[in-house]
Amino acid sequence: MADGGTGPGSDRQGIGERVLRKEDKRFLDGAGRYVSDIYLPRTLEAAIVRSPVAHAENLKISPPAGAEGRFFTAEDMAADGVQPIHVVSKFPGHKGSDYPHLATGKLRFVGESVAVCLADTRAAAEDLVAGAEIDFNALPPVVDMLAAVEPSAARVHDDWDDNVILDSRFDANAENVSAPVSVTRTFRMNRQAVNPLEGAAVLAEWDAREDRLVVYSASQIPHILKNALCECLGLRQNQVRVVAPDVGGGFGYKCVLLPEEIYIPWVAMQVKRPVRWIQDRREHLVTAANAREHHYSVTLHAQPDGTFVGLEADIIVDSGAYSVYPHSNILESTMAGRTLHGPYTFSAYKVRSRAVATNKPPIVPYRGVARPGICFALELAIDAMARELGREPYDLRMQNLVPPEKMPYTTITGGEFDSGDYPEALRRSADLIDVAAVRARQLEGEADGRLIGVGFGCYIEMTALQTSAAARAGLAAIPGYEQAHVRLTPDGGLEIGVGVQNHGQGMETTLAQVACEKFGLDIDMVSVRHGDTATSPYSTGTYASRSMVMAGGAIARTCDVLGENIRRIGAHLLQCGFDETTISGARVVGPSGDVSFAEVARVWHRNPEDLPADVDPAGVEVTSGFRPSPDKSPFSYATHAAIVAVDPELGHVEILDYVISEDCGTIVNPMIVDGQILGGALQGVGTALFEESCFDAEGQPLSSTFADYTMPGSTHLPNIRLDHLVNPSPLTEFGVKGLGEGGAIPPPATIANAVNDALREYGAEVSETPITPRRVRACVVAKS
Amino acid sequence: MTELTLKINGEDVTADVEPRLSLADFVRDHRRLTGTHLGCEHGVCGACTVLMNGEPVRSCITFAVAADGTEITTIEGFDDDDPMTMLRQAFHENHALQCGYCTPGMLVAARDIVTRLPDADEDRVRLELAGNLCRCTGYVGIVNAILSVIEKRQA
Amino acid sequence: MKSAKFDHQRMVTLEEAVAALGSADGEARIMGGGQSLGPMMNLRLAQPDLLIDLSRVGGLDGIEVAGDTIRIGARVTHARIEDGAVPGVTGAYMQFVASGISYRSVRNRGTIGGSVAHADPSADWPSALLALGGDVVIAGQDGERRMPLDGFQIGPFATGLGFEEILTGFELPTLGEGAKCGYYKVNRKPGEFADAIGAVVIGSAPRVVCGATEAAPFRVAAAEERLAAGVAEISVADARDMIAAQDPGFDDYDLQIHAVALSRAVGRAFA
Ligand SMILES: Cc1cc2nc3c(=O)[nH]c(=O)nc-3n(C[C@H](O)[C@H](O)[C@H](O)COP(=O)(O)OP(=O)(O)OC[C@H]3O[C@@H](n4cnc5c(N)ncnc54)[C@H](O)[C@@H]3O)c2cc1C
Ligand code: FES
Ligand code: FES
Repeated sequence: MADGGTGPGSDRQGIGERVLRKEDKRFLDGAGRYVSDIYLPRTLEAAIVRSPVAHAENLKISPPAGAEGRFFTAEDMAADGVQPIHVVSKFPGHKGSDYPHLATGKLRFVGESVAVCLADTRAAAEDLVAGAEIDFNALPPVVDMLAAVEPSAARVHDDWDDNVILDSRFDANAENVSAPVSVTRTFRMNRQAVNPLEGAAVLAEWDAREDRLVVYSASQIPHILKNALCECLGLRQNQVRVVAPDVGGGFGYKCVLLPEEIYIPWVAMQVKRPVRWIQDRREHLVTAANAREHHYSVTLHAQPDGTFVGLEADIIVDSGAYSVYPHSNILESTMAGRTLHGPYTFSAYKVRSRAVATNKPPIVPYRGVARPGICFALELAIDAMARELGREPYDLRMQNLVPPEKMPYTTITGGEFDSGDYPEALRRSADLIDVAAVRARQLEGEADGRLIGVGFGCYIEMTALQTSAAARAGLAAIPGYEQAHVRLTPDGGLEIGVGVQNHGQGMETTLAQVACEKFGLDIDMVSVRHGDTATSPYSTGTYASRSMVMAGGAIARTCDVLGENIRRIGAHLLQCGFDETTISGARVVGPSGDVSFAEVARVWHRNPEDLPADVDPAGVEVTSGFRPSPDKSPFSYATHAAIVAVDPELGHVEILDYVISEDCGTIVNPMIVDGQILGGALQGVGTALFEESCFDAEGQPLSSTFADYTMPGSTHLPNIRLDHLVNPSPLTEFGVKGLGEGGAIPPPATIANAVNDALREYGAEVSETPITPRRVRACVVAKS
Repeated sequence: MTELTLKINGEDVTADVEPRLSLADFVRDHRRLTGTHLGCEHGVCGACTVLMNGEPVRSCITFAVAADGTEITTIEGFDDDDPMTMLRQAFHENHALQCGYCTPGMLVAARDIVTRLPDADEDRVRLELAGNLCRCTGYVGIVNAILSVIEKRQA
Repeated sequence: MKSAKFDHQRMVTLEEAVAALGSADGEARIMGGGQSLGPMMNLRLAQPDLLIDLSRVGGLDGIEVAGDTIRIGARVTHARIEDGAVPGVTGAYMQFVASGISYRSVRNRGTIGGSVAHADPSADWPSALLALGGDVVIAGQDGERRMPLDGFQIGPFATGLGFEEILTGFELPTLGEGAKCGYYKVNRKPGEFADAIGAVVIGSAPRVVCGATEAAPFRVAAAEERLAAGVAEISVADARDMIAAQDPGFDDYDLQIHAVALSRAVGRAFA
């Protein structure tokens, strides 16, 4: 371990330690291995013919010249019996639709896959794409979600009577929703793209020696991808191996199945050569990585003293053309409907939520899933209420947050918050941001004419989605017991196999820390393997902030079992009773001596003749699992607070200060926790201020390069100040709560509230993300 | 095909390439130096940054033929380079990387900052980094790592 | 995202290059730093049949002061200008402009000549140099000619350069010590192309440019008159009227940000 790490051989590399990352070296050396870095001889490169229009029928395709045996369409796949992707949830009334791998007859969004071209280089494959001709009858496209719900709208799917995928109501005590003071607002969180720096990538070959299809994919969910490949291609499980090697960020985009992940392997089987498809940035921005896009009409009802009473809302989520596997096209609309209440107490709830289909790419889960939109709508409504009542937004929140003495707390829609002190997070962030100082500064005014504002955003996040909740939603992948495989190696080290996938979260380190915590061995002696269905236990993968809770829990439980086996051998070697032994510092300690793991391992592996006759044959290699009991999810939460400066002449927003008070339960590695929050927060700033996937009236995407799609950069967020509350979850091993997504949830709400605070002298309110200069100016102009 | 002679990481290389081949694809696919990454292929993200004659350039929008007669250094070519050794250690200690995809380009750009601007402060470092996107870290660790190397080099 | 096929020829003399432009089959283009061509070709928005490489042609990357003009070769990079290679007050102004163009690794390759020949309305040099005034130096079949920067750019991506001509450099005024310059670029991220540009140079006479419009940058006559009359400030409201009078095509927001850029550029000139 390099300088700055913690010392070897002690338990100081366990839970809570700032252990430097084991995985860093290969990336720093340029030796990481992503899909596009893997070289297989005779590989053909694929480029895709894609739909140029948003909506059309009677698709006809003519192959380019010189493409014999190098050009494939849906017809070829159908002739081979390939099945489409089909995801229908168990929610009554959910309208099902196939997601074709390659378009069949109808085109439903610009960029939809139409045909595959193969050549020796990607450039030559793109030449073939340019030579392919497609013909169709264009249809009027359904582009805007508000227009899509109108009965007169064209239909995305011919066999549906409208474009509403699912219309759900989440009412509780709805007849008492009204109260003396009400504010009504509409909000919009626009479509954006996920943009991990590495896009999607697939390399596939039929490996003759393994006698199976080997698919390398930049995936967060290799086992789920394997299931899908078997289902669509009609292969047995033992005929498919999926490897997710180093993956350059995912953020949810890589936890859904892409059509390319099916048709590229299929094509590789046809040509009997390796085939690779490396998504380029334009394909990423245009075809498949869209997310968010919510519309809210919200009415918040309160008593004159500020006590919240009822929440009413009509929510529409633009889910795009298809339902993605395994999370479906209603994940966002149902989550938004059920949890719009956020961390606050309400006595009545009247919420309708609809997912609608449009001629745009299907939306995929993106860090925070639905909650950035929920938080934006609710938190802006709360600030509007504060202005209505003449209250400090901070005070009004304090009055209505679920107090710690009510934990565990059952929400109005039946959810259960497990633990935490929500008001304390708000109090601490308000202290850090110093609201009083901002108010004083506002009275003075700024020398440069800009306007200063302060804003808050509070949220809760249900992390590590549990079995019953996923089953209720009818997802195609329902997480059960998460398993880990832990083996004591002949030198006394540990090899750990997990089915979750690490793509930046530092799990090769944090999951190893769990084993260090249990056994006190040096972290250099622990390795965590993941991302290969051939070697890791089955898992639904990495999403929903679940990996530390679930895989960490599984490793802890498995280490407990393995520890017993090790102690049993140790007790034999120490000639003492099993009950007299403990484990400490990678040694089995008995009443009159101890023996190292290395010694135990040596005996088991190399000198089995020294073992007792009745030794447990399961030995020093154990698979076991974990899930919270009861089957419930830990909730993390935070308050974000920001000070912004708005340039009223240009409409530009600059973030001057930003603080976060958060609680993710027990902290496994503070460095990595901070890194996750900081990275998430900047993504939230992107949602708040910059990122938007725009379409014209014909459904043509207008944000197809990084020149038209602004990513947040190094100058857009000052050094955030982080503050941690630690309220361990009663549900999990060590009390950890999921954390990966949270940072991205409240920045849009926080920044918008700060902007509206700055603009209050104009009486102007922004209500839409991203808060572009043009939108800010429009608000200012409308009011002045 | 056009003939190309250049030095890559100190090694003389001659090759016959299609003029349309980018320098990035040349080092990645022809030389199998895959540490140089592609994040956008239109000059915005900086993942493909390499040194050409000691100065950082975008290898995605530089055709290989335009590198004729130059010296190219990719992330694989810095083993004996002091500033890079310091930066690697600083990136490690400051958690300046998560998925690692931006990291090679980020390190090459960072090396340019610490050598060209030995007095840069935080604002300047952030400004200079605007041409390198990192989707994971929020830049805090990267900025701190670079500042720590600047400070060490001043001592 | 890979370029379509093209041929590539390395030239040693300017004459050879001009001849190659004339005799090419299909579309031939000069390759400058490739920092605009590269992205456009990767996206297949540009598909030239032939790229003519001038990197071995001598004499295109010089910077010389001759009396009251500075000659700057077309192949001088943004980075060299950023590093102060152009002397004097003209140089200081150009240094400021250059440092805001894209990112260092693009500035190391991108050239001033390529930028002006490319004539992207959102680019910096077309506006910044129009405010300086001076000439563009051009080589063609009939040898060298000059065109004033005034009128050189005629629209988005369109200039007075003929198909068979090469931009070889610029002759710019050496500004005296008393000259005032101000440049204001509106964008949301350092190094991005401009949403609006205001450029002001007050040398022998004031020159005020409104840039990053839908078309070519243009001089704002009313603003120049105002500054010539000795006024040291132009309000946003006035700038709006002045710009709208010359180009009524702006929507309200675009008019506003161009007016702010102009007003703040004047502010910087007098700061
Ligand atoms: C990410 C990114 C951000 C950018 N941001 C900015 C910015 O903020 N501001 C800005 O101004 N620019 C910006 N640019 C563009 C950059 O400045 C380019 O360098 C410049 O526009 C073109 O110069 P070049 O030498 O690279 O020309 P090339 O790309 O080589 O050529 C551009 C065009 O000019 C022609 N040409 C080039 N040289 C000559 C010549 N001598 N004679 C005749 N024709 C010639 C070419 O044939 C081609 O048509 C950015 C570029 C990138 C990739
Ligand atoms: S890949 Fe070259 S700048 Fe993005
Ligand atoms: S570490 Fe993932 S993009 Fe920077």
